[in-house]
Amino acid sequence: MRLILFLHLLGILYTTWALNAQPVNDFFERNAAPGASKHTNNWAVLVCASRYWFNYRHMANALGMYRTVKRLGIPDSNIILMLADDVSCNMRNKFPGSVYANPGRHLDLYGDNIEVDYRGYEVTVENFIRLLTGRVDPSVPRSKRLLTDENSNVFVYMTGHGGNEFLKFQDNEEISAFDIADAFEQMYQKKRYNEIFFMIDTCQANTMYTKFYSPNILATGSSLLGENSYSYANDNDLGVAVIDAYTHYVLQYMEGINKTSQLTMQDLFNTYDPAKINSHPGVRSDLFQRPLNTALITDFFGGVSQVEVASPDDSEDDEQDFVSLW
Amino acid sequence: MHALRTAVLKFKQRFKPKQNATITRLKRRKAAVSLFTRHLTHLMIILLAVGYLWLLILPSSRLGRGTYMDENALQPAQVNTYWNWGDVNAADRYLEQLESLRDSNATSHQRSQFLKNEFLKLGLASATQKYSFISNQGDIHGSNAYAILASPRGPRNEAMVISASWLSRSGEGNGTLNLRGVSTVLALARFLQNYSLWAKDIIFVISDGYLDGMHAWLKVYHETQQSNLDAEPLELASGVIWTALNIDYPGHSFSHLGLFFEGLNGRLPNQDLLNSVQRIARYTGQVPVTVYDHLDWRDSSKQSSEPSFLPSSLRHNSEVKEFTYRARNLIRNFGYQAKGRASGVHGLYHQFRIDAITIFAVPATGPHGFHALGRIVESSLRTMNNLLERLHASFFFYLLTTPDRFMKIGNYLPSAVLISVAMIFRGLRCWVDAGWKLNQRIKDDGDSSSDVITWTRRKRHVLHVLTIMLVTHSLGAAIFLSIQSSLFLNNQMFFVPLITLATSLVPFVISRVSDPRDEGSAPIWLVLKALNLCSASTVISTITVLNFSLAALLAVTLGLSLSFSGPSHSKLLSLTKYILYVFLALGWLFFYVETREAIWQWEILSVWFAPFVCLVYTPLLLQAGTVCILSS
Repeated sequence: MRLILFLHLLGILYTTWALNAQPVNDFFERNAAPGASKHTNNWAVLVCASRYWFNYRHMANALGMYRTVKRLGIPDSNIILMLADDVSCNMRNKFPGSVYANPGRHLDLYGDNIEVDYRGYEVTVENFIRLLTGRVDPSVPRSKRLLTDENSNVFVYMTGHGGNEFLKFQDNEEISAFDIADAFEQMYQKKRYNEIFFMIDTCQANTMYTKFYSPNILATGSSLLGENSYSYANDNDLGVAVIDAYTHYVLQYMEGINKTSQLTMQDLFNTYDPAKINSHPGVRSDLFQRPLNTALITDFFGGVSQVEVASPDDSEDDEQDFVSLW
Repeated sequence: MHALRTAVLKFKQRFKPKQNATITRLKRRKAAVSLFTRHLTHLMIILLAVGYLWLLILPSSRLGRGTYMDENALQPAQVNTYWNWGDVNAADRYLEQLESLRDSNATSHQRSQFLKNEFLKLGLASATQKYSFISNQGDIHGSNAYAILASPRGPRNEAMVISASWLSRSGEGNGTLNLRGVSTVLALARFLQNYSLWAKDIIFVISDGYLDGMHAWLKVYHETQQSNLDAEPLELASGVIWTALNIDYPGHSFSHLGLFFEGLNGRLPNQDLLNSVQRIARYTGQVPVTVYDHLDWRDSSKQSSEPSFLPSSLRHNSEVKEFTYRARNLIRNFGYQAKGRASGVHGLYHQFRIDAITIFAVPATGPHGFHALGRIVESSLRTMNNLLERLHASFFFYLLTTPDRFMKIGNYLPSAVLISVAMIFRGLRCWVDAGWKLNQRIKDDGDSSSDVITWTRRKRHVLHVLTIMLVTHSLGAAIFLSIQSSLFLNNQMFFVPLITLATSLVPFVISRVSDPRDEGSAPIWLVLKALNLCSASTVISTITVLNFSLAALLAVTLGLSLSFSGPSHSKLLSLTKYILYVFLALGWLFFYVETREAIWQWEILSVWFAPFVCLVYTPLLLQAGTVCILSS
């Protein structure tokens, strides 16, 4: 008797859920452009895996990405920035408190509005994997958590010194391509993402995404197996290289994009020029289920989620349905 | 696939033992040993020949590789330099003051006071340090001046040193003054304060004398004791010193920067430091770099140094010129390293694990001066400042053939090792020969006659031989003690022949006293030769990794000579050989100046070349001499 009651209850719960979820899906399918992303929120995880003064450029890489995603609308609460953060206030820095990514020092990336979530020795492989998979201690503050759900688009950017299927973390430990692939799979199983865009700038970077096996991941890297990624330029007052070539050209392209841009990932990948970058960037899209020319750049770099503004003469039903959700 | 399997099976079959596996293995081993012993002489000759040939072709341009930066942190020659004509002017003003000090015959104390005051005027913490060394060759007194530029933002637990000695290394401190080097340091002290980016303290040291001042300063800085040094404690302290640059600028202007890097007892600085300065000089300072003060043969101004015995067509061959240039560099390196000498003041730092080099402004009429030198030092300091902890990535063992080419340890070490292997083979051969006697007789059994070889065991008087060896080594120790005395040093001309004569008589006494002469035991000389060769070989192969040049020198002098020792049939020939060995063993005593210098280096700087020669080299050759006069 009890069992039957319980089954009934389950049935009722399912119907309620289905009735409630259906309108959302319907709504997006009806109103969004064909092939458009169905995500409702954007997150960015930006990792600089190096430390020390001479790796200034890796800090600048990550900060350059930070500036771009923030400019395109992802709020600080949705950006997890992992940074050794030992260059801006380094004793060797001729321009204390700032980080520049170009030889003329035109734009201070460090500025006065920087939120580094994992700093210094907190940038570890363990913390990175815990962050992605959500297996964090209850005491970890919300600012250090990736609070994503199945409607989140996540942009993961990594930079540092790497090699064939590994990336060094602070000259101390390494993360392998398998570790990241498994972490993404866990995220998928735990419905922690809608789509992931994975970008990595390191030596032999393309090997890092070869092990992915979870759906809805788009990946790109700066260099082929056996190939180095090179720095772009050196500032002769700082005395170190300030940014890597691949990241430099990606960021340069991003500067021309705003929140309403309709440019797609395909457009971004088309700008890759091995002659300028000095390495051969790669793209992996077999796991990604949308055509690249419909995936907007702002689907990952921007904080632009699907919003429909209903016109007054729209049918009342729709609006009624939508409102009833809340 | 099938064909492959049958091939493998066939192959296995071939090597499969047909009888008892153990017996086959023993047979195989016996055959291998007999093959080895039968060809041992050939093998030794080949090893010796290859070893010596290898040493000869070390300067070849086909060996070695280009230098490269190994430590990522250094980032040399990537900074704008701000040292400018104003700073050059400041250096000129300092030079004028130093020249007037020189002209007024100022004492050490007055000089160091002046330098201290100049540093104080710049706002730097500064102090002087008086020191004196007690030596049988005359006591040394002096006074150092030093100043510390505190790291503006750092924790002050690390430091780098810019130093200049009062006397220049040109002429090895024979009185040439390093006035321009000192003024460069003063002007740099003034200039470098403009930067706030020093992660380490910068210590400016103007040491008195040539090597003695800096030695006293470093000893006291690192709180090490030396019985014959009496020095004031340092008033100012800083952190651990990782790198140091020593500036030597004796001339009016310079054309090239010479790199000097050999330290005491054959230590070398990490190659990254040399490579950094070399790149900085070339790209930032635009000054050509040389090894030592040897100008490249491509510089037309230099007259040729190719040996005159070569036909002129060969002398003008670029390959020959290149070989000669590299050979000169290597010989210079061997000269410093084998003797354990420092090629400049930088060499004193290495004993405290500080990587240091001297940048020597090769005197010329132009075109470079303070302007280029200051920029190079400024940029080098920025590079040294980038260093995290100590230099560790690049090589500590290398032969620098040209400023931008070098040989790795694996490319030169085998030469000396091969010779020492040949020697130990020869020694072991003698050992076996001493232990076994060959009896050969012709056995005649009716129709066929055949050789029957039997070996009989004989006794080896090892204890006896060890006593002889001990006597020779004690003799070496006695020589070492006696040549350190002031009595000897003051009357070298008188005592050297005396010591030589006395020493050369001892083996005779040994050969008379020591002959157990019992029938059926091995000849003493053979056992002595075996042990002599084995110990010499061990010494050489051990020294190769400590001080390759010394090992190569030993391999050259001992390799052939020890292998060919042995009594001859004619008494006269034996005696001649003996005299030759004694000459090799003690001939160095007749180089009066060199001997005094080596003793001075031992007394003051703890260079172990002098004791090594007395306690190891001379006894080994005396043993070889004794081998020749022992009755066969």
